[in-house]
Amino acid sequence: MFLRIFALIIRYKTLVVGSIPRLISVFWWPSIQIVLWGFFSTFLDSETSSPYSTISVLLTAVILWDVLFRGQLGLTITFFEEIWSRNLSHLFITPLRNFELIIGLIITSFIRTVLGLIPAIFISTYYFELKTFYLGFYFVIFFFNLIITGWSIGFIVSGLVLRYGQSFEELAWAFIFLLLPFSCVYYPLSTLPEIIQNFSIFISPVYVFEGMREIIIQNQTNFSYILKAFILNILYLSVSVYFFYKMIISTRKSGKFLNFGE
Amino acid sequence: MDSLKLVNVTKLFDNNVALNKISFTLPSKGIFGLLGTNGAGKTTLIGIILGLIDTTKGDVFVFEKNLSEFRYDILKKLNFTSPYLDLPKKLTVKQNLTFYARLYNVLNFDIIEELSEELKISDLLKKQFGSLSAGQKTKVGLCKALINTPKLLLLDEPTSSLDPETSYFVRNFLKNYQKKNHITIFTASHNMQEVEEICDRVIILDKGKLFVDGIPKELISKYNFENLEDLFLNIRN
Repeated sequence: MFLRIFALIIRYKTLVVGSIPRLISVFWWPSIQIVLWGFFSTFLDSETSSPYSTISVLLTAVILWDVLFRGQLGLTITFFEEIWSRNLSHLFITPLRNFELIIGLIITSFIRTVLGLIPAIFISTYYFELKTFYLGFYFVIFFFNLIITGWSIGFIVSGLVLRYGQSFEELAWAFIFLLLPFSCVYYPLSTLPEIIQNFSIFISPVYVFEGMREIIIQNQTNFSYILKAFILNILYLSVSVYFFYKMIISTRKSGKFLNFGE
Repeated sequence: MDSLKLVNVTKLFDNNVALNKISFTLPSKGIFGLLGTNGAGKTTLIGIILGLIDTTKGDVFVFEKNLSEFRYDILKKLNFTSPYLDLPKKLTVKQNLTFYARLYNVLNFDIIEELSEELKISDLLKKQFGSLSAGQKTKVGLCKALINTPKLLLLDEPTSSLDPETSYFVRNFLKNYQKKNHITIFTASHNMQEVEEICDRVIILDKGKLFVDGIPKELISKYNFENLEDLFLNIRN
């Protein structure tokens, strides 16, 4: 089991390390986001007399949102690589079990996300003087909650592509931006119209970003936010993994494995 | 022990019958051919044996184990290659072969060097798979298909993209490999001359049904044709 998971991770590592465009996608975008939002926050801080630092709230939100985005992309893109290289059939005739593929995708996504965040955190800490680690242990809790949300979306998108074909690939980028306005990344839940709030309370990142703002602005922690995010994430990850399994079974019935990439 | 046994295998795609009650058995050693016109059901049949496609009805037994129950045990002893499928293009040949060796739990990577030498692709090991010619890709695909020393090897048109000299080499390689390792090779092909030359038995599918099953020479004399190609072209009329 471990050797097969290791094989997948090494394969994806080799793929990324050997390709400049792939390396850019891992390292460049998180950093460029921080630079853009960093300058914008600096400008806002100089123009307003807010009692708390806009830089802290905005840049921490940008970093955390990127965890979700990179986590999701890291998983789906890694899976899509098999489709793009017309390798899916070869993969599914090996003794690789579905759960080993799932674990391999999760570990690869985790490594990609962490590596991508390192330069972004470095820039935000040393150039914009953001105290990312001000969140302390909560940063780790927020990180895992958001990356789990990313994986849940990743498995749903990958499952849809597997079953219904490559036209669903666009969802890898679109889905996350559909979720963005309702996730309360840059503003509190109370900002949203009440009817949308009723929908947003089921979106786990809402509680992560509410919790983050409470720590930065009010210097206090609401554990109920963390608990709600965690329960929703476990539920969503379980459902999405089950969905991905079902899509594999459904693809076997439809006979599409032999046609992927053609 | 039979290497492969199909019992009333039927596959429907929506309401279209791709395979209709296919039953046959392949013994544990030998090279067997699978023939049929386009759309006869060859690819579907191979996909079912590989566990890539589920049957609608019927059972597949590989080494006397039911594929639907023992998929992963069976897949360890089975392998496949087709010129219509690729390996990851950005990885080198060696990286690809190492990747698949690990997936099959093959820990001794010496087999990569040995097979590469036998298939005369040692000089390609450091090249990216995507940079290879069609013929070189076919040989690398074959190398990948032998990485776990399979007991049942499935091939889809193994010489379709090769020049005559390389085709000859691959045919001889397969014959020798089968004799040396006592395995079962089941190959789908459109090359009648090749099938006649290397196969101990042929199975011909027509519109999803098993149409003919027999030894090439016996079939040719039984139906009074000159060769397998004649038989294939005329027997359905």
